[in-house]
Amino acid sequence: MRPKSDNPQPLTTGDSSTSSLSSGTTTSIDPIYHILNILPFSFLRPPRLRLKLPSLSLPSPNLVFAFVLLTYFMVVSGIVYDVIVEPPGIGSMQDPYTGSVRPVVFMSGRVNGQYIIEGLSSGFMFLLGGIGIILLDLALDRNRPRSVKSSYAAAGISSVVLAYVMSMLFVRIKIPAYLR
Amino acid sequence: MAASSKPGSPPSSSSSMAQDLFNNFSFSKTLKLKTKQQELLIRVTVLTLIYILAFITRLFSVLRYESMIHEFDPYFNYRTTLYLTKNGFAEFWNWFDSESWYPLGRIIGGTLYPGLMLTAAALYSVLRFLRFAVHIREVCVLTAPFFASNTTLVAYFFGKEIWDSGAGIVAAALIAICPGYISRSVAGSYDNEGVAIFALLLTFYLFVKAVNTGSLAWALASAFGYFYMVSAWGGYVFIINLVPLYVLVLLVTGRYSLRLYVAYNCMYVVGMLLAMQIRFVGFQHVQSGEHMAAMGVFFLLQVFFFLDWVRHLLSDTKLFQAFLRITVTGAVSVGAIALGVGTASGYISPWTGRFYSLLDPTYAKDHIPIIASVSEHQPTAWSSFMFDFHILLFLFPAGLYFCFKRLSDATIFIVMYGLTSMYFAGVMVRLILVATPAVCLISAIAVSATVKNLTRLVRSQSQAVQSGSSKGASTAKSSSKGVIDNSQPFQRNGAIALLLGAFYLLTRYAIHCTWVTSEAYSSPSIVLAARGANGNRVIFDDYREAYFWLRQNTPPDAKVMSWWDYGYQITAMGNRTVIVDNNTWNNTHIATVGRAMSSYEDEAYEIMRSLDVDYVLVVFGGVTGYSSDDINKFLWMVRIGGGVFPVIKEPDYLANGEYRVDKGATPKMLNCLMYKLSYYRFGELTTEYGKPPGFDRARGVEIGNKDIKLEYLEEAFTTQNWIVRIYKVKPPKNRW
Repeated sequence: MRPKSDNPQPLTTGDSSTSSLSSGTTTSIDPIYHILNILPFSFLRPPRLRLKLPSLSLPSPNLVFAFVLLTYFMVVSGIVYDVIVEPPGIGSMQDPYTGSVRPVVFMSGRVNGQYIIEGLSSGFMFLLGGIGIILLDLALDRNRPRSVKSSYAAAGISSVVLAYVMSMLFVRIKIPAYLR
Repeated sequence: MAASSKPGSPPSSSSSMAQDLFNNFSFSKTLKLKTKQQELLIRVTVLTLIYILAFITRLFSVLRYESMIHEFDPYFNYRTTLYLTKNGFAEFWNWFDSESWYPLGRIIGGTLYPGLMLTAAALYSVLRFLRFAVHIREVCVLTAPFFASNTTLVAYFFGKEIWDSGAGIVAAALIAICPGYISRSVAGSYDNEGVAIFALLLTFYLFVKAVNTGSLAWALASAFGYFYMVSAWGGYVFIINLVPLYVLVLLVTGRYSLRLYVAYNCMYVVGMLLAMQIRFVGFQHVQSGEHMAAMGVFFLLQVFFFLDWVRHLLSDTKLFQAFLRITVTGAVSVGAIALGVGTASGYISPWTGRFYSLLDPTYAKDHIPIIASVSEHQPTAWSSFMFDFHILLFLFPAGLYFCFKRLSDATIFIVMYGLTSMYFAGVMVRLILVATPAVCLISAIAVSATVKNLTRLVRSQSQAVQSGSSKGASTAKSSSKGVIDNSQPFQRNGAIALLLGAFYLLTRYAIHCTWVTSEAYSSPSIVLAARGANGNRVIFDDYREAYFWLRQNTPPDAKVMSWWDYGYQITAMGNRTVIVDNNTWNNTHIATVGRAMSSYEDEAYEIMRSLDVDYVLVVFGGVTGYSSDDINKFLWMVRIGGGVFPVIKEPDYLANGEYRVDKGATPKMLNCLMYKLSYYRFGELTTEYGKPPGFDRARGVEIGNKDIKLEYLEEAFTTQNWIVRIYKVKPPKNRW
């Protein structure tokens, strides 16, 4: 807040202030401003500082959307399951004939169980499929050069096809009786 | 069911093509419909087909077995509905039941959500009035599919409100067969969720309509929708927290308007007053921490309205800025102080364990074993998501993208609903049900927008061909289409190929949903089925056999002790008093039963005499290989009993940290009551060819203690496949 001994300065809307309740006008209706004027600052002289309150602004929709996609990926990968049940990153099985320990990627036997890596890779496939459809929509937007549009379209179609095929493969590995 | 058509203008090319098509058929000269009427006819036909589809896809178990109630909880609902239809509403509302939780009893009128029972009773009385002589059981079995069909209609209107009517139709079609919803609304699953999801979607639709139109009538309708939801399910807490969060997001993004003010105020005040009419809810809306967000946002909205009015009066903007800062700071600080005083003084109760474990999922595992033991409350793995949603998991992020492209009050709501419900679905498997309508709606937006893009591409090519051939002049229109004309056939064929691809994906979705419904979600749980040696289907009806034996062969005032899973079924079908049942409202009582099951026979006899138990019922899967039996649940009995009575220690039952029932098991495990009752006379039975007698097929081991003698109980009944075993508690010996 402006010290009383200063020369009157031009009014600024985003003025620097240490008290959040001060106003820019010379006759303020703020009661706390007046109380502070009287009590400490009638005999104390505040120093001249160049402080600036950080201005909060709403993030752009694209940033919010990127954050939303990230949380979607985490939820769909089963991160809450990983935190609570604490399964191993990848399962292991002992080969009955050779005695060596082989890794098992997909936890078999029940629908609601997973290993961490299995969850993350499936979640990535779901996200890839979603991004493929988004790329397809971007490709159909009129205001872009043709080469960009066709590359978006190619990337989008290949993403969707890849994601769908891989997801079906994962489900068939995990649940052998799927669609039979 | 008439769907009102929006007065939109269809593209001219499709109308001309359609007119040409109609003119080609000679008989249709008399049947010439205008395009709007054609569109209305198509829409109504499609919605009717979706309505019927949603009903019949849920009928698998009725066709395979018979029309019966499934699972455990629905039996309680069925029993209360039966009581309601026999004795009327006043008796039902004031019912004190002494047949469960002996000797405590249960105040049923004040501890249930009556919406489901009242709905089924209303349907029953309507059918009776029309002189259809139906049994109440049939009405109960088919209530859930009927309300699922109604949900598809609400989804259509909601989709129309958010995006357009095309998205509405796709949403209705997706939600009709989505396995996430079918799992809890199949015919025979007479549970609160069957009606509650309809009420949830209806409330949200009415509220979004109220925010879009600002009309008091719609806001009042949403308040009544909320009342129906509160009467139907405890999940109404989701609505009373999501709607204030949505209002807060609108305020933060600068979308405050008078429409929002009217809608939220009316819904909150009238909805809260109506919700207090349900005895089970009581005064929670002003006393419970879970409902405080709604109240806080209510007062914040009044502050916003007040500031808006002051700004309208004041002409000086700088003065208003100062006033704004003071008021907002003052209001927030007063609210924080009020909340602090309320919580500290105990007037505002903290969040209950059930809902707190949604915010902090690790809480239930450490502190509340009863909540952690229910299999539906486990967190969700990716395969459960895949099973319940299939391609909707791809369409959901795409739909979010489209919503972010066209941000409005309605799309912000559906995005928030989708994100919050997906988070909760990740925390608890059961809540995939709540996320299903949001996922279906958002996916429908993606499908509708993509298909619209593609068909626009297909149609613009043919339109360019037509305009090019008919006009041929170098107008501005054709020059801008010049770029497209060069790659014309490629783009058109590409768009058609993509449309076929989308159609293929949706067909795969339909196949997946039908397969999942038929194989996974249509089992009545009370009747077990398995494949025999030569592929034929073998049915185990042991549960009902045992309950009917109880009903017909025990004295009417006999008391049955079993684990709490079977309580509702015993009271409904066996018609006998139970000690604990699925309501699980008294943890100490359940722990007493758990302690009795885990103690030696003589200690257990003391506990059973103190509870007046006459019969003990255990479920045993060793002969059939049924894995959800009491021996597999036994560790939960130990944990819950040990939570209240420290004399029961879990390590006593584990050999080297491992849970075993064979020779390597601990002596306490081999001699506890549950072990003895499950394996009595089992050591003489040969269950599998080539294995020794006493081979437990569910655990895959030969049991450790084959020579079991019971001193204080005697075997009363064992069902055909040894699944349910009933023992009679002997009266104390005469003295001398």
